[in-house]
Amino acid sequence: MLSAHSLRLGYRGRWVLQIENLELPAGSRIALVGPNGSGKSTLLRILAFIEQPTHGELRFDGQPVRTRRDRLAARRRVTLVEQQPLLFDTTVKANLMYALRLRHVRHADAADLMRSAVERVGIEHLVTRSARELSGGEIQRVAIARALVLRPEVLLLDEPQSSADQEMVSRLPALMEELRAAGTTVCFSSHRLEEAYRLADRIIALVDGKLSPAAPENLFRTTVPPGTGPRVVQAGPLALLVVTDKVGPATVAIPADDIVVSTEPLHSSARNQFHGKIVRLADDGRGGVALTVDVGTELLVRITRAALADLNLSVGSSVVLSIKTMAVRVF
Amino acid sequence: MRRGAELVMSGDAEVFGIALLSLRVALVATIIACLFGIPIGFVVGTTRFWGRRAAITVLNTMLAFPTVVVGVVVWGLLARSGPFGGMGLLYTWWAIVIAEVVLAVPIAAALTAAAVQTIDPRVRRTALTLGAGPWRVHWAVAQEARYALTAAVVVAFGRVLAEVGAAMIVGGNIRYHTRTLTTAVALATSQGDFALAIALGLVLIALALTVNVLLQMLQLRGDAQRA
Repeated sequence: MLSAHSLRLGYRGRWVLQIENLELPAGSRIALVGPNGSGKSTLLRILAFIEQPTHGELRFDGQPVRTRRDRLAARRRVTLVEQQPLLFDTTVKANLMYALRLRHVRHADAADLMRSAVERVGIEHLVTRSARELSGGEIQRVAIARALVLRPEVLLLDEPQSSADQEMVSRLPALMEELRAAGTTVCFSSHRLEEAYRLADRIIALVDGKLSPAAPENLFRTTVPPGTGPRVVQAGPLALLVVTDKVGPATVAIPADDIVVSTEPLHSSARNQFHGKIVRLADDGRGGVALTVDVGTELLVRITRAALADLNLSVGSSVVLSIKTMAVRVF
Repeated sequence: MRRGAELVMSGDAEVFGIALLSLRVALVATIIACLFGIPIGFVVGTTRFWGRRAAITVLNTMLAFPTVVVGVVVWGLLARSGPFGGMGLLYTWWAIVIAEVVLAVPIAAALTAAAVQTIDPRVRRTALTLGAGPWRVHWAVAQEARYALTAAVVVAFGRVLAEVGAAMIVGGNIRYHTRTLTTAVALATSQGDFALAIALGLVLIALALTVNVLLQMLQLRGDAQRA
């Protein structure tokens, strides 16, 4: 459906985005994950055709999008809901109808489209209100409805879970399912991995503007001190013993499957042990369970359901995480 | 004072004619000035181009142009020996309109530029993501800036209606032809007819008030329609 090739975006003399190949197949649900500042929002804006890359090409259904006219046509098929969306300074209804008016949709059809979008995000009570009076969560919901009204072929959402209110977050899975049934391609960014796993078919990790070669969990930016053999690097607040040839700025990845969870400290070969508490539990969509453990920073750990039951773990449980030095990837 | 009030109340044909001419000049000049000034302000306020800072400085300097200087320059251009002398516009009400347009364009442009500069950049992005073409994007920005843009029109209109120096020079204050309220006030004052001057001044203020009230009503109706 939508694809990007050899994408480069320069800003103040450096590349903030370098993506060789990215495909959003028709009907897929893709999560874009990565730390803050990794280029997720920028990539979404480029995919929405509202920001132009310095180099590279976007293709829609295999056709390159090159000219101004191509981009306008493409923007009528893709839409983006920004992390902090803006509503025009008028009523909610006028906001919802804006794009339909641009497209000269017949009044009766427009009313139907609006009603259905309004119901899907549950904002019936807001329609006649002025956009100025809404709270942040309400603005987010109206913005999502405004995008749904358009029935876009590709829907891009920037951090839909971070600015949405609790009710919207609980509606997201059903909404994503409906969009999949309708054949809509959805791509959203997220910094909460377990949510990304729950909502997406595929996860793409972005680190420093590049697609990450490692699994997207537990990525940290670090600086490796000079020397050889095992060295201690800082992964957020964690001091982590790693083995690497790299020196200088690097990315540290702790694979979620390679973290051992126990209720007591282990006498083992794992050199990295951290105490923490379970803050969230979620089905990982692959038969296992994704635990988010706060050890000063949040680490995602995947274990089996049986292990979870054996250890009698729930949200709030104190646990110890053990990570083998060799399991930590530095690149 | 009483004589002045009587003049106004009795619907004196000459006073009425003067007021009408003032209104006509001010409206025509404001419309033309906004047709040029608002788009210029939009470009200066929203696009990045080489020399943009210089353009803003020039616009802001033009705000402070002495009206008599503009009057003299326009006079020079329209005088029989000037480059546009052949058009025979000097000492007609169109000459006043031209001078007032020169004075009002910088106001409309500078205030528009200031207004659209403060608009959230997300307005443009949002309109784009909803499929707006370039003109619709500008229109969305204009709608968000509508109060400030109305202010630009009001200030331009106020300047044109109240201006006397340039109107005097290029219009000539010819009775029944180019005598506007302001030039008539100046004349009455210089002739010592203080009462008439005050009366005409009151008419001028009443005109300004009426037009501003109408503009405000128009804006409120526009808001109601958008809702």
